Amino acid sequence: MGSKWNKSSLMGWQFVLLPSALILLFSFYPMLQSLLLSFQSGKGTVYQYVGLANYGRLFSDPMFKQAVLNTLLYLIVQVPIMLMLGLVIAYFLNMPKLRFKGFYRTAIFLPCVTSLVSYAVLFKSIFAVDGILNKMLMSIHLIQEPVAWLMDPVWAKVVIIAAITWRWTGYNMIFYLSAMQNIDPSVYEAASIDGASKTRQFFSITVPMLKPIILFTAIISTNGTLQLFDEVVNITNGGPGNSTMTISQYIYNLSFVYTPNFGYAATVSYAIVVMVAVLAFLQLKVGGEKQ
Amino acid sequence: MKKWLSMLLLVSMTASLLAACGSSNSGSADKGGNEAGSGGTKKVVAWAWDPSFNGAALKIAEDLYKKDHPDFQLEVIDMAKTDLEQKLNTNLAAGVKDGLPDIILVNDPNIQKYVTAYPGTFADFKEKVDFTQFSPYKVDALRIEDKIYGVPFDIGVTGMFYRVDYLEEAGYKAEDLENITWDEYIEIGKVVKEKTGKYMATINPNDEALTSILLQSAGSWYITPDNKGNFVDNPAMTETLRVYKAIADSGIAKPVTGWSEFVGSFNAGDVATVVSGVWQIASIMDAQDQSGKWRVAPIPRLNVEGGVNASNEGGSSWFVLEESANKDLAIDFLASTMGSSTEFYERFLTENGGVGSFIPAFSSEVYNQKPEFFGGQAIYSDFTRWSTEVPGISLGMYTQEAKDALKNELPNILNGADLTQSLANIQKHFGQQVQ
Repeated sequence: MGSKWNKSSLMGWQFVLLPSALILLFSFYPMLQSLLLSFQSGKGTVYQYVGLANYGRLFSDPMFKQAVLNTLLYLIVQVPIMLMLGLVIAYFLNMPKLRFKGFYRTAIFLPCVTSLVSYAVLFKSIFAVDGILNKMLMSIHLIQEPVAWLMDPVWAKVVIIAAITWRWTGYNMIFYLSAMQNIDPSVYEAASIDGASKTRQFFSITVPMLKPIILFTAIISTNGTLQLFDEVVNITNGGPGNSTMTISQYIYNLSFVYTPNFGYAATVSYAIVVMVAVLAFLQLKVGGEKQ
Repeated sequence: MKKWLSMLLLVSMTASLLAACGSSNSGSADKGGNEAGSGGTKKVVAWAWDPSFNGAALKIAEDLYKKDHPDFQLEVIDMAKTDLEQKLNTNLAAGVKDGLPDIILVNDPNIQKYVTAYPGTFADFKEKVDFTQFSPYKVDALRIEDKIYGVPFDIGVTGMFYRVDYLEEAGYKAEDLENITWDEYIEIGKVVKEKTGKYMATINPNDEALTSILLQSAGSWYITPDNKGNFVDNPAMTETLRVYKAIADSGIAKPVTGWSEFVGSFNAGDVATVVSGVWQIASIMDAQDQSGKWRVAPIPRLNVEGGVNASNEGGSSWFVLEESANKDLAIDFLASTMGSSTEFYERFLTENGGVGSFIPAFSSEVYNQKPEFFGGQAIYSDFTRWSTEVPGISLGMYTQEAKDALKNELPNILNGADLTQSLANIQKHFGQQVQ
């Protein structure tokens, strides 16, 4: 009996061994390597150890501050809007009496499987100076002159936020929808009998029961927003000025657009790691207190 | 049975994984041209973007070189410019030289950056090509500490393309556009806007093309030759930003947000002039219905000492990698085609509309052709004449950092912030960026 257990355990280890080795090699080794890199500075291949100088530079770097502020703004404004919207849409799609459910679900989920670049190009043309949005707004006489959406620091941010919301709401909705389907309908029946309104049911039953899922989506959205890259690069390329640039784009610029300083780029990457860790910790503290 | 199955699965998974590694290895070796080097055939590999322009130039060069070297082979690997730069940077930074080509196309503002960041990586051409035959400002860009890294290729000498019909409607003749300053340009623009309803130009606060053109026309650049910020106490910079703000404030410029909108604005006939590099000819000629309506004049000049009516936008050069297995062959190939052949430049102009910086070719017949699209104006000979007037500058290695520092402050400048203070801010920002 004992030897059989050993054999099957051995078989298990064999399965785990290869993936573990690959994870060590392709995930943990680069992480360690980039940590070491963040203590070096220089141009291209001309490097020297500078200790914590890169981390010191981080705090006096106006471009980094700008990128962090932009990214945090996206996070604070966009994530709550998106999660609320996802929740509300999921609630409506979960209504038993709704017709063409399949169609709506597909339509709302579709944006998140479209190609990042093609949707960015689409948004760019919608918000162009002679784009369709300006034409519509002018034809209903809401504005007199076309608005240069992507050239105004505030509007450009609004466009980015709209773009990410459009793309990722459906993704979060799917999580909420599947969670809602696990809520026993009898809970709602009981609430109805007790005279609770639909709105009351939503806030007092649906939302509390979805709490772990909401926490999960909040963490992955935070994580995703802190690494935001494609939308900004393709829609505004960080402009106007640097008013929409994100931290990821800054890392890209430091490595491939500017005279390459991979050491400092690694330092900025570690700043994202720290921010993701801190925010996830805070969210777990706030959202998961009762567990 | 189960155990046997799972064992099989494991083995097949491992095998397929290793197979994938193997095939990708051999693939990259092939691209790097190592096989060719050891195999004895005379094959050279080049990386370039834009197959219809840069790639086509290589094909013409190959064609010419093959006349004397029948066994010569050239493989052009086409990729997007940003992909090429990213791939080159990652390979060099990782110290992996196997996957790299023999010849690579380099955008001029990147020259000094690459040479300094990756010392010993690129081959010296000083003894291989007669550089006195090229426009001096192109050679200046390639010269770093008495070495000359590469063969000058296409140039971006600028001109002011204009719609002769719009300007005539506003009451201007060709002579009125010769040798003008930017302030005169703005005045003309106001009249054009009033009489025709068309914009004079486009403006894109997120694009530094215009400021670069203005600076170089006065022999200045964002950075000094010793790679310091050149924003404070630089009359050309102050004047550039004053003119830029004046254009934005005057209402003569149509706001555009990107390249396609920029091209769209003149293809749709929204603007009366386009100040751009010679390579813009192709995009302008895309609007077939506007044939005969376009002409080219010299660009306006800055009203500062040394300001001329000629400048440059963009341009690129060919580099050879020092450690390439076919280094000598690659150098000889470039030197005897793009580095010395008038025939190459004649064909490049006729077949692809490319204007090089090889001076002996300028006297050739094809440079005197008079395209119908430009009303029979000998535009190429005009452009080449202007190209000899472009002030030579050192592009330095931090052009992109400097442009970003400027971009960061540009919205404030356009909103009327004090220019001296703004320039000091940019200088400080730039200093922090390049430490």
